[in-house]
Amino acid sequence: MKKFNVVGKPVTRQDAYEKATGTALYADDYTFPGMLYGVMVRVPASHAIIDRIDYSAVAGNPAVTAIVDHNDIPAQKKVGPIKQDQPIFSWEKIVTPGDVVAMLVGQNETELLQLRDKVSVEFTALPVLTDPLKSMDPDAPRIHPQYENNAIVHYPLRKGDPEKGFAESDYIIEQTYTTQFIEHGYIEPEAVIAIPLGKAKGVKILGSIQNPHTTRKVVALVLGLPLTKVRVVQAEMGGSFGGKDDQMNILSARAAVAAVKTNRPVKIRFNREESILESYKRHPYHMHYKVGFTNEGKLKSMRIHITADGGAYASMSPFVTWRTVVQATGPYEVENVFTDVHAVYTNNPYTGAMRGFGSPQPIFAQEQIMDEIALKLGMSPLQIREINGFKTGSVTASGQKLDNHEVNLSTVINKAVEETNFVEKWQKNQKDNADVAKQLNFANDSEANQFILTKDQLIAPDKTWRKGIGLAASYRGCSLGAEGIDVTSAYLSVQLDGSAYLLCGLAENGQGLRTTFCIVAAEILGLTVDKIFYLEQDTAIAPDSGPTVASRSTLMGGGAVRNAAETIRERMVRSVADEWKVSADSITFANNTVSSSENNKSVTFADACGITYKHKENLATIGFYQAPEVSWEEETGQGSAYFTYVYGCQIAEITVNIATGQVYVEKVTAVHDPGTVLNLQGALGQVYGGVTQGVGYGIWEEISVHNGKIREMNLDQYLLPTSKEIDDITAIFIEGKDEHGAWGAKSLGEPTLELGAAAVANAIQNATGTRFYHNPINLEEILLNRKLYPEDLKRGSL
Amino acid sequence: MKKHIKFLLNGREMACEVEQNKRLLDFLREDLQLTGTKEGCSVGECGACTIIVDKLAVNSCLMLAVQVDGAEVMTVEGLMENGELSKMQQQFIDKGAIQCGFCTPGMMMSAYALIMHNPDPSVEEIKTAIAGNLCRCTGYKQIIEAVSCSCGK
Amino acid sequence: MIAQFEVLAPKTIQEALQLISGNPRAKILAGGTDVITGFHQGSSRFIDTTTLIDINHIPEMHAITETDSHIVIGAGTPFTHIVENPGVIKYFPLLAESCSVIGSLQIRNRATIGGNFINNAPCADSVPALLVYEAKIRIQSAISDREMPLADFLVKPYKTQLKPDEIVTEVILTKFDDGYKGNFYKLGRRRGVAISRLTIAVFGKVENDIITDIRIASGAVTPIGMRIAELEQKLIGKPANDDSLKEAAIELGKIILEKTGIRWSAPYKLPVMQQVCYQQLHTLVFGKE
Ligand SMILES: Cc1cc2nc3c(=O)[nH]c(=O)nc-3n(C[C@@H](O)[C@@H](O)[C@H](O)COP(=O)(O)OP(=O)(O)OC[C@H]3O[C@@H](n4cnc5c(N)ncnc54)[C@H](O)[C@@H]3O)c2cc1C
Ligand code: FES
Ligand code: FES
Repeated sequence: MKKFNVVGKPVTRQDAYEKATGTALYADDYTFPGMLYGVMVRVPASHAIIDRIDYSAVAGNPAVTAIVDHNDIPAQKKVGPIKQDQPIFSWEKIVTPGDVVAMLVGQNETELLQLRDKVSVEFTALPVLTDPLKSMDPDAPRIHPQYENNAIVHYPLRKGDPEKGFAESDYIIEQTYTTQFIEHGYIEPEAVIAIPLGKAKGVKILGSIQNPHTTRKVVALVLGLPLTKVRVVQAEMGGSFGGKDDQMNILSARAAVAAVKTNRPVKIRFNREESILESYKRHPYHMHYKVGFTNEGKLKSMRIHITADGGAYASMSPFVTWRTVVQATGPYEVENVFTDVHAVYTNNPYTGAMRGFGSPQPIFAQEQIMDEIALKLGMSPLQIREINGFKTGSVTASGQKLDNHEVNLSTVINKAVEETNFVEKWQKNQKDNADVAKQLNFANDSEANQFILTKDQLIAPDKTWRKGIGLAASYRGCSLGAEGIDVTSAYLSVQLDGSAYLLCGLAENGQGLRTTFCIVAAEILGLTVDKIFYLEQDTAIAPDSGPTVASRSTLMGGGAVRNAAETIRERMVRSVADEWKVSADSITFANNTVSSSENNKSVTFADACGITYKHKENLATIGFYQAPEVSWEEETGQGSAYFTYVYGCQIAEITVNIATGQVYVEKVTAVHDPGTVLNLQGALGQVYGGVTQGVGYGIWEEISVHNGKIREMNLDQYLLPTSKEIDDITAIFIEGKDEHGAWGAKSLGEPTLELGAAAVANAIQNATGTRFYHNPINLEEILLNRKLYPEDLKRGSL
Repeated sequence: MKKHIKFLLNGREMACEVEQNKRLLDFLREDLQLTGTKEGCSVGECGACTIIVDKLAVNSCLMLAVQVDGAEVMTVEGLMENGELSKMQQQFIDKGAIQCGFCTPGMMMSAYALIMHNPDPSVEEIKTAIAGNLCRCTGYKQIIEAVSCSCGK
Repeated sequence: MIAQFEVLAPKTIQEALQLISGNPRAKILAGGTDVITGFHQGSSRFIDTTTLIDINHIPEMHAITETDSHIVIGAGTPFTHIVENPGVIKYFPLLAESCSVIGSLQIRNRATIGGNFINNAPCADSVPALLVYEAKIRIQSAISDREMPLADFLVKPYKTQLKPDEIVTEVILTKFDDGYKGNFYKLGRRRGVAISRLTIAVFGKVENDIITDIRIASGAVTPIGMRIAELEQKLIGKPANDDSLKEAAIELGKIILEKTGIRWSAPYKLPVMQQVCYQQLHTLVFGKE
């Protein structure tokens, strides 16, 4: 393997200084002279026809500079990445409680907040649809009357002959799994400012925006402006995890409409409650799996029915669920597969992109099923995965042969197993905890007796904590796959003093992309990272590169940066070789110098730039990277879904208090093959952060919905993991070879998050002898096999 | 209704007029334009607004500005020492403890207050000190390492 | 969103009592962790408040004093001071422990013990420990000065015997003779910063294998933190064996059911409370494994 100078070494983040000193500016840190605030007006309904909006109680109020609603929108009133179903301001219907009918705009936000309840909205309530499984019933309320029914999308996948497969199976397991709504939980709530620049120049948007180019497109559509007249600049992002996309486009459009109307800068900032109320979530899934397998543990057939709750708007549901249909069978060879994935409308909060993007849900189901099969056959979780796991040359459910990269599934699993002594611990726990399953029923059994226990149900203190260990593995397609157009560009401009400007069209979301891109450019040009100055994300400069999603940034953006840097390097080599009359091959770039082994000459990188300039070569370029061909057959779900894949395995070690249902997570061991690790410290940070979110998904985090309304409105009820929840995390990388991107650097952000809940669920089974099918596996789930919710939405009820 | 207050802010004496119903967080961010201190929940759960008042870490969203009358206040802007990064700031940078950075100011304030009282904290003590500072990005591990390495040892 | 009000900062208890007397729209501001979030969420309990009387500048309000027989904690003492106080740790370890798991460090640095039980939320974590120690409180107004057991002071959720012109000034704890042991257990959904699902404090004495004294108090599972006197009576005098403890735990379930009826959380909380009670009594009697 090539020796690197910068790649894979610890490198300080580009933006760390500002962030460590409190000088980094996030959207809400900006104020402008004459700036106004926009405050949302909502309706206390989940599904209703808007009959009349009466502003008379606030219209004359001096605190209200302007009232903005759908009448102020000059062009397109509804937007959306795939289906244009989401209004900037609702005027016909309310389809979920987060909907906004108008915005009060004025200088004093506090006064506006007090005034907003005075706007009177007359509405006719409609039946509320909250159960996604009922949304396709003939008599289900129609969420969007313009569509024929409540279907957002349906993906079939058909391979082989599932019925024949079941007939050839020795065993069949059938099971239903469910997962919950999840809040992204970025610590910075949404904030954006729109600044009017006058008729000739349009409007500038500055905000906590994940994909500035998408925001630009939406704002331009809404205002009826050409793209060039909407300039979107990204403020420092206080976390996103996929959550600051659609929602920020909508908020940007609202602010922009108000800014144009008032001709003053308008800021919208959400508090936490409002953020949770309106922003989209991770999809809850209802998953039915039927799996046939032989006595030898070979998977024969799978039939999978999945319904994703898309909530009130389509948002990214079609993309999210497409990943699901590709990966639903997990990293295992299955000859016969029948999968149907549906996403449907309900009146629940809408769901869209979130880190994981359609994979954490099926992994929660399918990795538990693998353990169930192992238990049924008396095998270990390792054996069953060895028998069925992908190897080089394996064929996926969509008929894709995995032969263009190192298929490292068994490598990552074996490493994790070795590291934790998994098999031995798992077998010991299985034996030690054989008595638990029966005891664990005490709460349910007590129901008949008014919840009063019997003496033999009481558990002694020394028997109460049980150890469990659980494993989960996955494969994950890199980048957008056949679901989107996959190209990126990067701008690189080397200056005559040897420093360089760099900007990739893929925006930083807080995960450290800027640093990674600088590393790539620095490596190729033989520079130290500090020589590269990463420009502010601005749609006026950066080329559109599609969204920062699907963990595609390192791979795709890295590819474009590499292309740009190589182009410049070639030009420099040409010029220097010519100047020195040496062969191009003899020239090397390292440590800010350019040398030739032929004449043993070496000059500073800056001087080499001077030579290149003198040779009339352009020191600036736009690099480009195009994803290799992929394909997809809509009717059969067959094709080369993604051009390459990554592999991961996580093992969770926990203890469960079988008298209370408390789960303490002691250790998570995460082994990932992300391809080449470009930025070691950044990669470690992605693992620790992803594991923590994944475990949070499995145990504590849940948005529950009552009649369309959310119960957990702030961080006192929506429980993010604190510093005390996971005792330790170990991260290990296996750097598998791949020809794509920058030296085969692939993805890491999402694979780290998708495994935690499944690993924890398997560990809980190991500790309790009981399997839990409904995420999150919280206190009540463990003891009662169900969730408990207060009847009303009031806080603090017992 | 405004009230006159005097206090020490990052070592500088301050004398200000402040609305009595203003939260300390808003006073810092809006009146004094010290935007390093962040707001993430407004109810004491996230810790993004953490500052140090009279040597103790507190949530500035749960205090009124008038309450710092006569007190000694430190915010993230006061961490630099003679225009240089303090050891803790450097450690946060070096250990990769910063991703999106939104939790960082509050996190460093909690950690700084801990080290003022306990120059050699254990990992458990560090975890306890920052349990009221939510970080969604890092999983805390590199933060704990950074705090650990900021101590005298 | 915080309404208009003025903030007064008296330097002595007398001054504070004068300020609050005859001003029904005034409220005490201690740590502010309930008051200020209450304002933020537009809670009805604070809607009429026009004056806040900040007691943080009154030294007696946050002093902890120890005599041979007592420890007196100023009602305005933040939890951090209580948790770190050597006298409290030595003589009232359950109080130190329960205060140490309240909120986050930032909360404990501000939130006061008085505010905790005056707010009287079901999940006020300092209450069960105070109840098993039979804490008394001192309540003063410009014209009165009375003491009462905390147990009597707490009426129902978010309601106490406090009159509008009164301030709670002290929490008075009487030291115990040797031989008493106790345990406190808080069950939350998370390990860090958690609202209690249920809490229990048990405290008692075993002599010659007989339970000669026992006190049991619960929080979060009962409408407010409370002693379970009926159960204590039944246990006292019983042999300190596994069977009595099991009986007691089950009895606790019945008593709580009677007090609360079947709430939405009952299918979880009631059986678990019996488990936790059994385990805590077990540890009290037989020691830790
Ligand atoms: C993030 C967070 C986490 C929390 N976690 C926990 C937890 O784990 N366990 C728990 O028990 N609690 C928890 N709480 C609540 C806890 O902080 C409060 O109950 C606290 O103890 C109240 O004290 P305070 O000094 O802040 O009261 P304040 O908010 O100042 O006052 C509360 C009430 O009591 C009155 N009052 C206060 N002192 C006096 C006095 N001396 N005389 C007369 N009236 C008085 C006030 O007027 C007000 O009505 C949490 C709160 C937050 C914000
Ligand atoms: S904003 Fe103060 S704790 Fe979240
Ligand atoms: S670094 Fe993003 S929240 Fe901590």
